[in-house]
Amino acid sequence: MRANSVGWLLLTPTLPILFVFGVIPFLYVLVIGFMNWNSFAANPDMQFAWAENFRRLVFDDQFLYSLWLTLKFAFFAVLSEIVLGYFLAQLFMKDFPGKGFFRTIHTLPLVIAPIAVGATWRLLTVPGLGPLPYYLNRWLGYEFNISRYIDQAFFTTVVMDVWHWTPLVTLTLLAALSSLPKEPFEQAQIDGANRFQIFWHITLPLLKPAILATVFIRMMDALRTVDEVWMLTGGGPGAATRYIGLHIWRVVFPKTDYGYGSAMSLITLYLTIVMCWMLYAGLVARRDLKRAE
Amino acid sequence: MYHFKSLIASTLTAALLSSTTPAFADFWSDAAKGLEGTTIRGISESTPPSNYAKDVLGPAFTKATGIKVEFEATSWDQMYDKAIKDMEANTGIYDFVYIEQDIIYSYLARNFLVDVTQALNENPNLKSPTFDPTKFTSFIDNFKNDKGDLFGVPMEAFIKVYLYRKDLFDDPKIKEAYKAKYGADLAPAKDHKEYRQIAQFFTEWGKANGQEIFGTTVQAASGHPAAVYEVVESIFPTYGVYNWGIDTKAYGASVANGGRMNSPEAKAALTWWIGNLAYAPPESTSSTWDEVAATFAAGRAAQGLVYGENAAWIATDDKKSNVVGKVGVALPPVEPGIIEQATSGAGYIGYYDGGAFGIPHSSKNKKAALLWLQYIGQDSVQTDWALAGSRITHKATYEDPKVQAQDKKVDGYYTLMREKGPLFRGAPPFPFHNQVREAIAPFIYQAITGELKPDEALDKAAAAADAELKNLGYRK
Repeated sequence: MRANSVGWLLLTPTLPILFVFGVIPFLYVLVIGFMNWNSFAANPDMQFAWAENFRRLVFDDQFLYSLWLTLKFAFFAVLSEIVLGYFLAQLFMKDFPGKGFFRTIHTLPLVIAPIAVGATWRLLTVPGLGPLPYYLNRWLGYEFNISRYIDQAFFTTVVMDVWHWTPLVTLTLLAALSSLPKEPFEQAQIDGANRFQIFWHITLPLLKPAILATVFIRMMDALRTVDEVWMLTGGGPGAATRYIGLHIWRVVFPKTDYGYGSAMSLITLYLTIVMCWMLYAGLVARRDLKRAE
Repeated sequence: MYHFKSLIASTLTAALLSSTTPAFADFWSDAAKGLEGTTIRGISESTPPSNYAKDVLGPAFTKATGIKVEFEATSWDQMYDKAIKDMEANTGIYDFVYIEQDIIYSYLARNFLVDVTQALNENPNLKSPTFDPTKFTSFIDNFKNDKGDLFGVPMEAFIKVYLYRKDLFDDPKIKEAYKAKYGADLAPAKDHKEYRQIAQFFTEWGKANGQEIFGTTVQAASGHPAAVYEVVESIFPTYGVYNWGIDTKAYGASVANGGRMNSPEAKAALTWWIGNLAYAPPESTSSTWDEVAATFAAGRAAQGLVYGENAAWIATDDKKSNVVGKVGVALPPVEPGIIEQATSGAGYIGYYDGGAFGIPHSSKNKKAALLWLQYIGQDSVQTDWALAGSRITHKATYEDPKVQAQDKKVDGYYTLMREKGPLFRGAPPFPFHNQVREAIAPFIYQAITGELKPDEALDKAAAAADAELKNLGYRK
């Protein structure tokens, strides 16, 4: 009981801030989601629209496409980051010349603001000026133009995200790997387990909590990605990189459709929570359930 | 005797000047009494005219009045995003905002702006003797309401012109090669067929001669509103589709609802524009208005439709441009009969763009901002501003010797603007430009990437515009 009181006492300064900057805006968006409100409409006043905005969403091809595109982006980006981050973490567990330098360089993207990352990649890839299209064309005869070819644009945003966030995964997994006990690995070697068996039956289960936490963080980040992509492609070409965050931004700001945009935000938040819960239930709760049995 | 009379006259003139000049020169410091040290904040798009206002006029105004000017010159979309949010939330961050010709109708509909005429009438002590709205060109009318009250002071006005590489067009060998290939003289295109032919010729000529030159620029950024604007404001009118293809009375966009957005003419226009991409530099699909100007200035295109605010620096500034002295200016190519429609007032051939500075109703320093607006609206600051940004808002600026000298260097751009300006027109008076633009943009972008054929894109765009107009409550 005493521990609880101390905990609440320590949380006290944070709670009003959380309430003002978290709860109130959420409640506001919740209310607006049920309104028909566009400040440049014939009637610019807020009007209660029941669940009309949510009904519209179900039939909105552009919204559904953006949602699907975001899931695809999150899948490719997070999977690549986990795999690449794991191998880099394993690499940093070993000693090699220049390790410290390489680790520092590798971590640098983490400290760059997303908007600057987007700007950097734009300079790298802009057709007619960027070195990437120039050298790909000159050396390989490959026409690389992310403002024209939708697949190239999509995968460039994935690569940019991987470049930016893999260091986070590497550092997390490196910390986890460093803290693993040596005994199970020694025992497995004595028992004649090969490298894959050691990885599958010992390393992976021991790393599971760290991997899961990283997947949660990265997935939530990937689902709400806006600034990097806005800077790099503006959501184009066509709708190739118009991820849900960007789509909502366009509906709320240039289009000033506040009610509909709020409804989109709420549904996206709901879907993110459901997805995280499903991931948790599928990978963690199931294991706890088995243990209980 | 003659010398004596001259001496008397000179003395009298000098005495008269010395007694009157301080009254005018001191107006700014007198009017700004009590406002010294105030800081007014404004936001505009980063363009040559805006940057001149920021770098030259702002400091000069501060020197004259003691009022500081914090000027934020940013990207076009950020500018609108910030200004609208500020005015909507009534936060009062900005004391003056850029009002592009097409957004004024939305701002007036929302009562976002201070009535400058009324404010000056209420504060006669702030009324500058050197600010006279009658000295502006008719472009100022865009910023007046039905009663004739002014809501913004024009700071730029220009037309979107057809720029071409005069040096290439006049090259005897190139002319000969062109004639041999097409059996026609190489000259600035008058219609779309000629334009395409020239684009094709120069693209092939560039390849054959190992030069990085393409036939045309295209403002086709595949995720930016600039592409939509080029289609509806610059290409549609040259095919006789006006007002974005939207019926201005019933607010319908599709042919079925009285509009022309998916009419055969509109489809022909989009098909032609998309077809130009084959003869445009690779950066065209990421080019907004700025990049189009940069591409032309870099010498990478033989011709293109370029916003006139860039004409001066492209043609004269050798620090930024590779084509100084090589720029030709002409009217955009049009379909047969369009010039006649424009001359009669029934249509137009292109976009007459520009903007003004206005005071948001939420401004906390309206008086200081009122002085600033008048300061930038004086005749005396117009000439150098015109030279820096190829923009003209005052009738007298055309007559200025400096402007006339530059006119020759820019192949008569100012003369063209003065004489042919009436053939161009600003955006229609819709209060929903942004909303309809965002509704149709995805389909224009998909036409650029080839995901949709131009016909399909416009059918879908027209349907989306109809739905948006209905949703907004304008179309019954």
